[in-house]
Amino acid sequence: MSGDVKILDGNTFVVSDDSGDIEASLTDPTGLFSFDTRFLSKWVLTIDGQRLNPLSVDDLQYFETRFFLVPGTGTVYIDAKLSVIRQRAVGAGFHEEVTVLNHDAKAVDLVVRIEAASDFADLFEVKDDLQKKGEYYTRVDDGRLVVGYRRETYVRETWVSATEACSVDEGGLTFVVHVEPHEQWSTDLHVAIGRGPGGMSSSEPKYERHAKKARPNMELSLEKWLDDAPSLDCDWDPLKRTYHRSLVDLAALRFSPLSLPGHYLPAAGLPWFMTMFGRDSIFTSLQALPFTSELARTTLMALGLWQGSRRDDFRDEDPGRILHELRFGEMTAFEERPHSPYYGSVDATPLYVVLLDEYERWTGDAKLVRSLERQARAALAWIDDYADLQGNGYIAYQRRNEKTGLENQCWKDSWDSISYRDGRLPGFPRATCELQGYAYDAKVRGARLARLVWKDPAFADRLETEAAELKRRFNRDFWVEDGQYYAIALEPDGSKVDALASNNGHLLWSGIVDKSKAKAVARHLMSPAMYSGWGVRTLADGQGRYNPIGYHVGTIWPFDNSFIAWGLRRYGFKEEAARIAAGILDAAEFFEGRLPEAFGGYERELTKYPVQYPTSCSPQAWSTGAPLLFLRTMLGLEPIGEHLIVDPALPHGIGRLELLDIPGRWGRMDAFGRGRVDVGGRPRRGGQLGVLKPGSKKA
Amino acid sequence: MAELDQRLLEDISEWSHERPVPGIDGVLRLDVRDGARVDSWYLTIEKGVVTVSRQGDKPDCVLTGDVATVDAVLSGKANAMAALLRGALDAQGKIVLLTVLQRLFPGSPGADGLSIAGYAERQS
Repeated sequence: MSGDVKILDGNTFVVSDDSGDIEASLTDPTGLFSFDTRFLSKWVLTIDGQRLNPLSVDDLQYFETRFFLVPGTGTVYIDAKLSVIRQRAVGAGFHEEVTVLNHDAKAVDLVVRIEAASDFADLFEVKDDLQKKGEYYTRVDDGRLVVGYRRETYVRETWVSATEACSVDEGGLTFVVHVEPHEQWSTDLHVAIGRGPGGMSSSEPKYERHAKKARPNMELSLEKWLDDAPSLDCDWDPLKRTYHRSLVDLAALRFSPLSLPGHYLPAAGLPWFMTMFGRDSIFTSLQALPFTSELARTTLMALGLWQGSRRDDFRDEDPGRILHELRFGEMTAFEERPHSPYYGSVDATPLYVVLLDEYERWTGDAKLVRSLERQARAALAWIDDYADLQGNGYIAYQRRNEKTGLENQCWKDSWDSISYRDGRLPGFPRATCELQGYAYDAKVRGARLARLVWKDPAFADRLETEAAELKRRFNRDFWVEDGQYYAIALEPDGSKVDALASNNGHLLWSGIVDKSKAKAVARHLMSPAMYSGWGVRTLADGQGRYNPIGYHVGTIWPFDNSFIAWGLRRYGFKEEAARIAAGILDAAEFFEGRLPEAFGGYERELTKYPVQYPTSCSPQAWSTGAPLLFLRTMLGLEPIGEHLIVDPALPHGIGRLELLDIPGRWGRMDAFGRGRVDVGGRPRRGGQLGVLKPGSKKA
Repeated sequence: MAELDQRLLEDISEWSHERPVPGIDGVLRLDVRDGARVDSWYLTIEKGVVTVSRQGDKPDCVLTGDVATVDAVLSGKANAMAALLRGALDAQGKIVLLTVLQRLFPGSPGADGLSIAGYAERQS
């Protein structure tokens, strides 16, 4: 995927090579995609039959890019007398302006051709290499090329047209061009996508020629988004870059659900996850709350609308359950995949209540909390009525859709992520520990909302009693006495699945950890076995399945670490939280401020730089949100009543940090902090914040 | 001539009275096609409660499909969202009303026999 150029707008995106061309095979995610369907798999520009060679690529905006090209390939003579500019903006299809410049003293006659085709692959087919069941067609229609795919009533079409005169055939558009000396020729190419039954309706490309500026498909422009966010200034420049990158990427990942036009929630990641996910949308909204509440608001409304209402085994749906994933492609349309939507997530439901409460604490928007009372109550009821699959009062998961459902329904969803210390895998149903923390937190926060907003003190009392009871049992049943940490899961027979994993950090965040046990947990998280110097590993070094490049068994996830740091702060471990922030923020600098989904769990001292996991998605929403949550934890931002509390604990190297105009129920407030926490690095301007030698500082 | 079994709509109305989920109000017109013939029903959603009639106000959303598809969706044999993506159903206007309404459609009966009826028993 190196050399890929991506632009996106909502769930429409284009991935091409660095000359702007697309030549996709079934299994590689290049092309024009919209609503989980590929609308162009071939898009190749030639001049006199020759491909073009890239000189440079300008990423203008997340939705717009420009390619500078010359004829010829890298191995042959480059004719510098001709150059080509392709400027492309995405939005309900895309628009491309092709300009040919003649630098010579003589006029030239050229044949410019754009080849276009589509396989209309569902993203699931691209991922899993599956074959199509319908038929393709192509026609030339009113001066434009139409490529289409039909399977029963399912129809998808791509329309290609140009502003300049051309001949259109079933493979593309051909222009016969004469360019005078030192003159230029250009045409606009429109690619429109069509879906829908019977009469095709097609959205027109939004970017017309000579429009002053390409605009994204958002009422809220990027500039306004950036203006509305708090402004950050500090002595450590990398943080400014990372903050800006996070804001821009989060803007790019905004996605407007069909059911709530004009509202935006975070899609999970490009290119595989440009859709609504319960878990990812909730975690990202939580991370972003001190900076914008719009993502949380839309997430709560949209997930509330789609809340499960019945038992449906194919979709793993239950009444009250919050969805896992919503998809729009062909396989979902024909119920060959259950994503219409699919409900196989076991954490999204308690986390929904957690987000609702956190949203109210920041915004004071009691109106939304009142309007979602039924949804919140149904979510809380689901925890007790449907999620107790082991019959012991703990949330557990086991899919009912055994063909196409998800086996692991917690965030560590790979096959080997939940294991014993010696590497054995437990059976199902599985009750992973962090789920119990989320359930506890949902009950505590639900009680607060019941008392404050829904005016139901009896319900509040009941939830608080249940929460206290859950906490008491949990600290007995999950505690690994000989290791002094919480087991990653419980088996149906009550056996402790005793691997040491980062899930312990989420337990701190949830508040389910007994005060007397918190110190031992924090010590583990900061130990050399878990903390690499860059961050906390998903699974501790020394466990049976530990592998520094194992997806959930040794890599370091920025999102995971941001919640671990929040958890450490919650229990008063300010310096430890600052050390984790320092490590991940140092790592961000190696990725130009765009944190990957995960990177290798190697010792920082060993590699000197974070080794990127060969990841599928970038940007990824909850990695994008991680620096935002680190800012919150480093500054110690906490909404209490009508006030915003600021209690900074910053790494030395940051020097002075100010975050201005933090939005909330107080209006706008500023936060200031100075770097006073020794995280082991030298307080040197512009250098790295953290230590090379992990575990050398006190914990 | 095939006709939609109106009891399917009455079931949905009844279910909405038992478990209303207030939030989004509006009128959805259901156009059921059978060849050239179109039968229309108006589903008015108010505070989460659905009332069904053959006449109604100007709809906020128009849902169109043939008898077989509408029957399958209303009886839980097919999924509304999937039918919409497939082009077997067409929705114009405020699509959110279909999202609100689909919560009242029964699910595909589960292996444990629990469908919407099972849920009602469990809650009582």
